[in-house]
Amino acid sequence: MSEIIDAKGLACPQPVLIVKKALDVCDEVTVLVDNKAARDNIKRMAEKYGCAVAVKEEQGHVFNMHIKKNLPGNSDACKIITESIIAGIEQGVTAGQTVFVISSDLMGQGSDELGAVLMKAFIHTAAEMDCPPSKMIFYNAGVKLTAADSDVIDDLKALEGKGSELMICGTCVNYFKIGDRLGAGKISNMFDIIDVLSTAGRIVRP
Amino acid sequence: MTLNEKYLIILFESVSRVIQAEKILKKSGIAHKLIPIPKQLNSDCGVCIRFLSVHRAEVIKALEAVEIGELLEMPVSKHKT
Repeated sequence: MSEIIDAKGLACPQPVLIVKKALDVCDEVTVLVDNKAARDNIKRMAEKYGCAVAVKEEQGHVFNMHIKKNLPGNSDACKIITESIIAGIEQGVTAGQTVFVISSDLMGQGSDELGAVLMKAFIHTAAEMDCPPSKMIFYNAGVKLTAADSDVIDDLKALEGKGSELMICGTCVNYFKIGDRLGAGKISNMFDIIDVLSTAGRIVRP
Repeated sequence: MTLNEKYLIILFESVSRVIQAEKILKKSGIAHKLIPIPKQLNSDCGVCIRFLSVHRAEVIKALEAVEIGELLEMPVSKHKT
């Protein structure tokens, strides 16, 4: 018997994480998801683990995904682990938005030249993530990255296109005098920045 | 970018060479992008320079003075940026 996981309504990347953990102990997992991004991400992950994946589209844009691997597993352990994962999510352990804080146009300290290279690589890679951050906050010299002539402006536009909200510190834009040539994001203020930071589930600062 | 244009990437032996090459390309006004080396490829230096294949000749000429490593086609990725 295989475990059935109801991952409908869960935000990316939770459906993938649940299935991945379930597959660590299960032979077979059936998961229900309600969006194409979750379906595609789960399929890719499961196939990477050498599983066979069968997808059926049910009513109301629900995808029933049956994932089966070749290695033997323990169905009791499977049931316990998936229940505990779901309970953890219901308790809000992994809830909350992921927020990237970009406080400089450089990544790390030691060499400014290298720091600029690393930040470009960071933003480019972030734009290619399956589950980009909910929000990105730019302050101090970080706001320079959002200027229309910045080297990463295409990546920032791609992030906006994937649903990331780019919040740019207005004071900083004023200080660096780039208000007339912003290429992405929206001017924000300290009230909104503090609100987002203090309610975030996870803050990533490169 | 039109559909039949491909990206090429140049790998370098060191990050310093990448930085040097980037400066030259910027000065020459040739469209390019510094990106992390695609996962499928291996290199000690984690960044490379990507450009459209139509700029191939210009890029090679501009980078005459820099020791470039490999010139490769960008591996096909699920992502389009």
